Amino acid sequence: MPPRPSTQPPNPDPGHPRLHGLDDLVAVVAGGLVGSAARAGIGFFLPTPIGAFPTGILIINLTGSFLLGLYLVRREQAVMARWSVPFWAFGVLGSFTTFSAFSLDVTRLLADGHALIAAGYIGASTVGGLTAAGLGQRIGLVVR
Amino acid sequence: MTFLVTVATGAVGAYCRYLVSGAIQSRSHSDFPLGTLSANLGGALLIGLVAGASDLQSTSTLAAVGFLGGFTTYSTWMIETIRLGMPYLRVRAVINLMVTLILGIGLTVAGYSLTT
Repeated sequence: MPPRPSTQPPNPDPGHPRLHGLDDLVAVVAGGLVGSAARAGIGFFLPTPIGAFPTGILIINLTGSFLLGLYLVRREQAVMARWSVPFWAFGVLGSFTTFSAFSLDVTRLLADGHALIAAGYIGASTVGGLTAAGLGQRIGLVVR
Repeated sequence: MTFLVTVATGAVGAYCRYLVSGAIQSRSHSDFPLGTLSANLGGALLIGLVAGASDLQSTSTLAAVGFLGGFTTYSTWMIETIRLGMPYLRVRAVINLMVTLILGIGLTVAGYSLTT
């Protein structure tokens, strides 16, 4: 693939994975252990009380989106090991961030009648997540 | 114990997402991120079913929640949405954002109400 000008957006899919490699399994699982441990750690210190704004998961999802934007841009500018994308993108950052906890927190807030908090959480997560990911990409392009 | 279960099942979930989203994406013959969408929607339905059915303290529930935490992903959804939005594909970016959001939350609500 010819090198892209730095203003061009990179590929949407962070690498079509090969499906049967043992090295991929090790890389994704190792990354998944790191990402899940970080998520569980933050969840321990910032648990979401019932009916409250889910600050911990929001921080996790925004930070992870920022880092993935940063990583994917850096990856296109440097030669990286083959395990790098399975480890970082699919393993660490993929499992650090979570859609299921986001969706469950929204559901619980709605079920408990906290529609306004739910709406604020959805807004902060989506606008914040897109902003964080875009910011990560920008910084990845600028900082050497 | 809680920590170990979450970490171990999350890592397994991450690898399952890698397999499932890769298999779906490579069969879709499109650059629309159907693989991530499928993993997140599937995980959204399952977390609703699990959370509605059980108290969240038992080890089996903890394992399921941990697995789904690793199986679903937020960062990839965000990045893929941004990349669909640049430079000429803004409609597809909005579709990816809204379909995941509305269907995802809808499926969790549906699963939750089914089992509560």
